[in-house]
Amino acid sequence: MTDVGITSLAVNAVAAAPRRHGTFRRLLRHRSFVIGFTIILLLTLAAVLAPLISSIDPTAMKVRFRFRPPSAAFWFGTDQFGRDVFTRVLYGARISLFVGFAVSVISGICGALLGVIAAQFRRLDGPIMRLMDALMSFPAILLALGIAAALGPRVSSVIIALTVAYIPAGVRIVRAAALTVREMDYVQAAKVSGASSLRIIFRHILPNCLSPLLVHLTFIFAYAMLAEAALSFIGVGIQPPIASWGNIIAEGRDYATQAWWVMLFPGIAISLAALSLNLLGDALGDMLDPRLKGGE
Amino acid sequence: MAEPLLSIRNLTVQFRVDSGWVSAVDDVSLDVGEGDCVGIVGESGSGKSVTALSILQLHGRATTRMPSGSISYRGEDLLRAPGAALRRIRGREIAMIFQDPMSSLNPVLTIADQISETLRQHEGLTGAAARKRVVELLGFVRIPDAARRADDYPHRLSGGMRQRVMIAMAIACKPRLLIADEPTTALDVTIQAQILELLRELRREMGMSVMLISHDLGVIAEFAQRVVVMYAGRVVEQAPVAELFSHPVHPYTTGLIAAVPKLDSDAKRLTTIVGRIPSPQEDIPGCRFSPRCSLVQESCLLAPPPMLDVSALQAARCPPQVMAWGDRHG
Repeated sequence: MTDVGITSLAVNAVAAAPRRHGTFRRLLRHRSFVIGFTIILLLTLAAVLAPLISSIDPTAMKVRFRFRPPSAAFWFGTDQFGRDVFTRVLYGARISLFVGFAVSVISGICGALLGVIAAQFRRLDGPIMRLMDALMSFPAILLALGIAAALGPRVSSVIIALTVAYIPAGVRIVRAAALTVREMDYVQAAKVSGASSLRIIFRHILPNCLSPLLVHLTFIFAYAMLAEAALSFIGVGIQPPIASWGNIIAEGRDYATQAWWVMLFPGIAISLAALSLNLLGDALGDMLDPRLKGGE
Repeated sequence: MAEPLLSIRNLTVQFRVDSGWVSAVDDVSLDVGEGDCVGIVGESGSGKSVTALSILQLHGRATTRMPSGSISYRGEDLLRAPGAALRRIRGREIAMIFQDPMSSLNPVLTIADQISETLRQHEGLTGAAARKRVVELLGFVRIPDAARRADDYPHRLSGGMRQRVMIAMAIACKPRLLIADEPTTALDVTIQAQILELLRELRREMGMSVMLISHDLGVIAEFAQRVVVMYAGRVVEQAPVAELFSHPVHPYTTGLIAAVPKLDSDAKRLTTIVGRIPSPQEDIPGCRFSPRCSLVQESCLLAPPPMLDVSALQAARCPPQVMAWGDRHG
């Protein structure tokens, strides 16, 4: 899931600056980018390398070791079935980060396409935007809850539910940007040179609308991860025994008074991931804002 | 005269506003002959750019209508041409450059990418062949170190360089007509002169016709062979450049020429035309220049004056002055 960081870097380099390493150096000077990127990189590595970091099976129950507090043997303690919380948090990162990544990528692609279509084809503008308004009129988490409940408790239905819930904001962002960009002289110039409307949309308008969307998507990544945790906590998300940060917390809730560690560590993981993505989003926003670019 | 390359007849362009439709261009007719260089001059809001944009049908369809008139390019009516025909003409037959070179290049594409778009579209050139042409074209518009510049993004180029790139894009497919919409307005004076010189050379070498739109009489005088003066959406005078400057007939043209500052005059104040250009929404019966005209007569206020021939080459939309001219020169 480092891909998000890396693709945004690459797009940023193409969009904003002539020389890749110039942008890269600027990013490295940006403290919140470095912090955010490092944390998310570490979390991703932890998720990918989970089997190497911990040799314990995340679903193996050892009732003998129920509710052990954090120790050298069980870093984050154990839960009511004697499962190692550290291992479960590692494996939970896989689900949580995957859901966040998938939701931000899919809703980003859909948002970009729908937004640019709405901006460019006046006849479709009304229908698309009214549909988005309708979706927006529900709180995102409630909408996702309904869809996830209807589709059944699977990872894929969580992703679909959250994607639908988060598409409208992306569509609005891209549409607003596209409405500005399509009035630019270079779009007129492309038209004058005989380019077809599809070519104008995909080569001239869309690439110039992506930077606000990109910033938005880093936040969507964080929101989706939190929402997945919330859905799993409520019980319509990822089902036990598969670990996700949300359902580890949900399972630990009943024993919060006797085993605080079951809830605490996945909670910290969620906060860290959300924090790092927000830092990353802020940094990208600064980078892509031409007014903050200084005398380049 | 043989059939002109481009012929605009009685063109009216209207834009939608809250209260209905207003005419930004009203009954405009003009011709551009093969190899001709026509200058269109007028204040902001006189309709010169609107006319130019109409030629390639660049107005938004939903908010614009052209209730009358025709624009024919080599016999083909562009107002009624289907999309595919229009795309074939755009860039290949008629090219256009814009006022602000800072915003006419796509910031996410390299110079080479943008120029080869046109080549790909009309000549099917891609890859190395396209690149070779791009470098040739950049050299043609006098961009130093063309091979390296081709890979730059637009923000690395100065305004004058960008306008050169725009010109390279425009001439990539050797169009017969180049429409230049205030090509030098956004540039400083020395660069202006260089760009005009470049356009002049290209015109000579390629034999293309140019339609130059400007509010700067100096630019027009230097560049155009024939001048069309527009005021408030209408053509008020048409003449070869020498005639126009030596004996303008329409009071507006006279005023415009008088307003050009003269180097050898020690006048403390610049001459101006009193008042301002009316908004297209203002309903002025008769001559639209009459509220500002010092020679206004009663007949001017009654009906829109027709365009009258002063001589075989010159025409003006001011019957009293055309008559007076005729009386003086028998």
